[in-house]
Amino acid sequence: MREVILPGSIEELWRCLDDKPQASVYAGGTDLLVKMYNGLFDPEALICLDRIEELKEVGEQGGSIRIGACATHSGLLEDPLVRKRLPALWKAIGGIGSPPVRNMGTIGGNICTASPAGDTLPPLYAMKAEVELLSREGSRRVPIPEFITGPGATCLKRAEILSAVWVKKPEGYNLHHFEKVGLRSALACSVVSMAALLRLRPEGIVEKAALAWGSVAPTVFRCPEAEEALAGKPLCAESLSKAAELVRDGVSPISDLRADADYRRAVAGNLLLRLVDIADEGKGR
Amino acid sequence: MKISFYLNGKDTCVDVPADRKLVSVLREDLELTGTKEGCGAGECGACTILVDGHVRLSCLMTAAQAQGRRITTIEGLAENGKVHPVQEAFIENGAVQCGFCTPGMVLAAVDLLDRNPDPTREQIREGLSGNLCRCSGYVKIVDAVEAAAGKIGRGKSR
Amino acid sequence: MTTRMIEVGYPVPRFDARAKVTGEEKFAIDYSREGMLWAGARRAGLAHGVIRSIDISQAAALPGVYAVLTRRDVPGTNRQGIILKDQPVLAGRKVRHCGDPVALVLAEDRDVLEKALGLIAVDLEPLEGVFDPEDGLRPDAPLVHESGNLLHKAVIKVGDARKALGECDVVIEDSFEVPAQEHAFLETENGLAWQEEGGRITMVVSTQAPFRDRFEIAHALGLDVEAIRVVSPCLGGGFGGKDGATVQCLLALAALRAGGRPVRMLWRREESFSAGYKRHPVRMRYRVGAMRDGALHSIDCRLIYDTGPYAHLGVEVMALGMEHACGPYRVPNTLVEGLCVYTNNPISGAMRGFGVCQASFGIESMMDQLASKLGMSRLDIRLKNALRRGDRNGAGVTLVHSTGIVPCLEALGGHRLWKQSAKWKSEAGPYKKRGVGIAAVSNAIGYGRGLPDSAIARVDLTKEGKIRIYSSVADMGQGNSNAFVQIAGQILRQDGSRLEIIQPDTDLAHPSGSSSAGRTTYTYGNALIKACEDLREKLVHRATLLLMLDEPAGLVLLPGKVKHLPSGEEVPFELLGRVLSETDRIAVKEFVMPVAQDNVDSAKEFKLGFPHVLFSYAAHLVYVEIDELTGKIDVKEYLAVTEGGRVINPASFDQQVHGAIAQGLGYGLMEEVLTERGKILNPDFTNYIIPTSLDIPDITSVCVETEESTGPFGMKGIGEVGTNAPLPAIAGGVEDALGRRIRRSPLTAASVLAAPGGKGATG
Repeated sequence: MREVILPGSIEELWRCLDDKPQASVYAGGTDLLVKMYNGLFDPEALICLDRIEELKEVGEQGGSIRIGACATHSGLLEDPLVRKRLPALWKAIGGIGSPPVRNMGTIGGNICTASPAGDTLPPLYAMKAEVELLSREGSRRVPIPEFITGPGATCLKRAEILSAVWVKKPEGYNLHHFEKVGLRSALACSVVSMAALLRLRPEGIVEKAALAWGSVAPTVFRCPEAEEALAGKPLCAESLSKAAELVRDGVSPISDLRADADYRRAVAGNLLLRLVDIADEGKGR
Repeated sequence: MKISFYLNGKDTCVDVPADRKLVSVLREDLELTGTKEGCGAGECGACTILVDGHVRLSCLMTAAQAQGRRITTIEGLAENGKVHPVQEAFIENGAVQCGFCTPGMVLAAVDLLDRNPDPTREQIREGLSGNLCRCSGYVKIVDAVEAAAGKIGRGKSR
Repeated sequence: MTTRMIEVGYPVPRFDARAKVTGEEKFAIDYSREGMLWAGARRAGLAHGVIRSIDISQAAALPGVYAVLTRRDVPGTNRQGIILKDQPVLAGRKVRHCGDPVALVLAEDRDVLEKALGLIAVDLEPLEGVFDPEDGLRPDAPLVHESGNLLHKAVIKVGDARKALGECDVVIEDSFEVPAQEHAFLETENGLAWQEEGGRITMVVSTQAPFRDRFEIAHALGLDVEAIRVVSPCLGGGFGGKDGATVQCLLALAALRAGGRPVRMLWRREESFSAGYKRHPVRMRYRVGAMRDGALHSIDCRLIYDTGPYAHLGVEVMALGMEHACGPYRVPNTLVEGLCVYTNNPISGAMRGFGVCQASFGIESMMDQLASKLGMSRLDIRLKNALRRGDRNGAGVTLVHSTGIVPCLEALGGHRLWKQSAKWKSEAGPYKKRGVGIAAVSNAIGYGRGLPDSAIARVDLTKEGKIRIYSSVADMGQGNSNAFVQIAGQILRQDGSRLEIIQPDTDLAHPSGSSSAGRTTYTYGNALIKACEDLREKLVHRATLLLMLDEPAGLVLLPGKVKHLPSGEEVPFELLGRVLSETDRIAVKEFVMPVAQDNVDSAKEFKLGFPHVLFSYAAHLVYVEIDELTGKIDVKEYLAVTEGGRVINPASFDQQVHGAIAQGLGYGLMEEVLTERGKILNPDFTNYIIPTSLDIPDITSVCVETEESTGPFGMKGIGEVGTNAPLPAIAGGVEDALGRRIRRSPLTAASVLAAPGGKGATG
């Protein structure tokens, strides 16, 4: 039997970590407990962050939104700030797992798991989010691409937790898109995903683009070449096809049980082509 | 470890290993076998319970996490021998086949209707998408939830 | 229990629904007993190898381990199998697939069990394996069994197909392939067993064949059949995967060595994948010839079944697939060759659609292509060739019973979804392509010739005055026991509060066949009708006596009583229950299903399971929308028209139709057991995916009723037929959308994108 500790505050958490420095810290348990109960992982003790209310808060500070790491996906789906200000992230969260998984899983957990297929990651990368890392000594903020160092790997230190994620409100972007390709419509791991933020002029010229892909590289894939290629061009099949080629050249997908590399490469580019219709739909509304 | 929680309307205390799967505590220690386990990995939803009114997977919770929570299993849904409107609708609309997914499915529907009393069929499908059913093709389950929504709605407007 | 009248023909809510929605229904997995041990098998983990040694010492020494057993501890033949007994209970000399059990551990709890299983050291000398059935047929192939890798070869031959191809105006040729499918029932294989004082074993187990299980256990462990009692509560799904021993022999062995303590065995999901049965992977090659007017003239095909390492029901699955290989069509010349090959892949066996699912993909894909070639509509070519009563089918059997494929196709053709298909297709949005597919299928009912398809029904008036049915065919969710309650309610004129049903218990019920083959309600239902009529007569006669009347005329059954209409006098069931002796309160009757009376000489290699004479039919239509950017197929509309005689319960009928389609859509779109050198790569619900509520559209189920004069209240089983159509219908829809046929299932997004017309690697 291993101990499971449920600290009620961050102060208490530090004391728990002092007592059990080898303990594994978890929030929703949708990833870690699957591994533990299936014998793939045998932590000495568990610390569950579920009861620390201060880690669940969502609020605005200046031009940024701070999302507590232990905010559940369901909680964020119901949060007006996330829905209105961060629509690409909101859409990504809505496609995670299933309702019970979203009730349990947290955004911090999704980030710390650092899966190449993590659904919140492409929008967070596209919005240049930063993570707030907290330890007894204080906090530091790290851009998310620096935090995630590889598949399943982060630069989180011992006795440090991910306490929040900071997202600058993506002002100036008037198209916020996220699409996930999974093998079924729920309970699916993404095979390819793409977050896209565009600033479109009224006449349909792309002024600025921020793009990020999941599941096509060891970590989230950004493609500045494609972003540059789109800048100043009309949003149309022709310009998007050119950008899509740059994306396909840049990705480094793997073949696994869910899909082969060729499929991921093709679709990573193809997803860009949808943006014309997304823009049209936006106009229609 | 002694763990106390409010289970199906009663204060309950168990002495179990803190890291024991909550579903095993329910099924084996408390003999509440209405909660099922189908995969042990959070993929099938058979172990769905309500924690403070919201669906959770009891195969992905440690016993310790139940401490102080209000937990509802399928056994706790009927009141004074009268089944919940969702249960009634499942019976009347042919939403039950082998019945193994049913407890989890019913609880998912109860939570869904709590949050959204008048869902579209698509929203019902979305709300039940964490609960696999291999028998039904889901059609009659969606029918049942739709019917239950109507019934609950009429009950409230009265 | 409801007090509404329980009658045939109405969507009476299932009697088991209340217990299931409240969680009270006890499945095998919910049974436990004081002092219970946990049993678990150490699996080989290697697909083919010789066992050099098994070191159990560390496991046996682990505190909490009660016993560790190996082949040496197995009494009896150590061989299980439904027909050909070639599967060891515990492998002793060699292992033939990754899921072969090599040791059995009994432990005080699950944690100790898992630990002990990990401590068993199995030294295996790897052997070259057979992982492709065609490789397995090469002369230099390694041998799965010393008897050779060809488990069975058979031919169905009517007329002269090869010669007749030369007479055809058009001949087309094509090949298809389908992989293994997992049953994915939610309740994994499990049971609880104990040895009674005196040595008998009682087993509560999730099984489709409680009566046959006793023979399998007895044969494997050298026991007397009567020394085994099998109790089969409601199953949490079966679909064929619990037809035949799963935990049974291991669990009985454990019970024999548990010193009288109860033992539970519960396969984890991964174990269910690795040790459980699968739908057969099949490769098919077809040549189909027709005349200019669309009339089929000749079919020449060859089907190769990968049956895995043990016979199980492989030959019977192949036989049924071959019997359906020419579809529900009139074809004067057919040559169907079948090869059932041993491999070191997972064990193939029974699954809803039983070999027909695979063949339907082949023949229906050919029908689509024939239609294109002849410039006919897909519906017209099917109607042109559809079987009618009195025709001989592709296996040479004259169809003397209800034959409803024509009305199914006609109803499909008259449906708005068929009529509006062109308009719907023309309205596809950007990067979307739409197509419509149809399929016509049939599925035989019953075991076929070679063994009697029989059931014995028992219905009692209890001492308390209730009507109690002793079911002897398991209810895996399909609702047969509800049909039994309806039949008894109808004949004995009772309401729900008076009716009870006991799930199969070999000590209480009488021997009957398995819950399979679309026969469950048909065969047991026919027996039950006779038993209920017998009981009705008995009750009336005894009431005559109690009321001191001259004769039974004027006496009728009403809820809870027998009433004499002329006088208004009544005899309550409670009174009858009290005064009748126990033997007088019981009615037991048997029914044996009819078989083909033709002198069918089209196939000589099948000892049993061929041919059949009763079939259900269905015509399906699907609207598919393909996303050109991702290749994803969305099923937008689904229509199923089904003929299964008369309907005992329209709600149960639709349940079966919907469920079969959902499994068929999974098979068509996403399900595949992936293996590498016999090892399953996706043995869990994370990687083996089945449809969620968001993947199945609303389904329109239309019933075309005929009267099957041999069926109970005119019914035939329809549990399986619906599984056969979704894959070919989707494949047809995809071809309609893309202009190219995909010949291997499942039709994944990747396979669609790779097809010309999809936006593949070059965009």
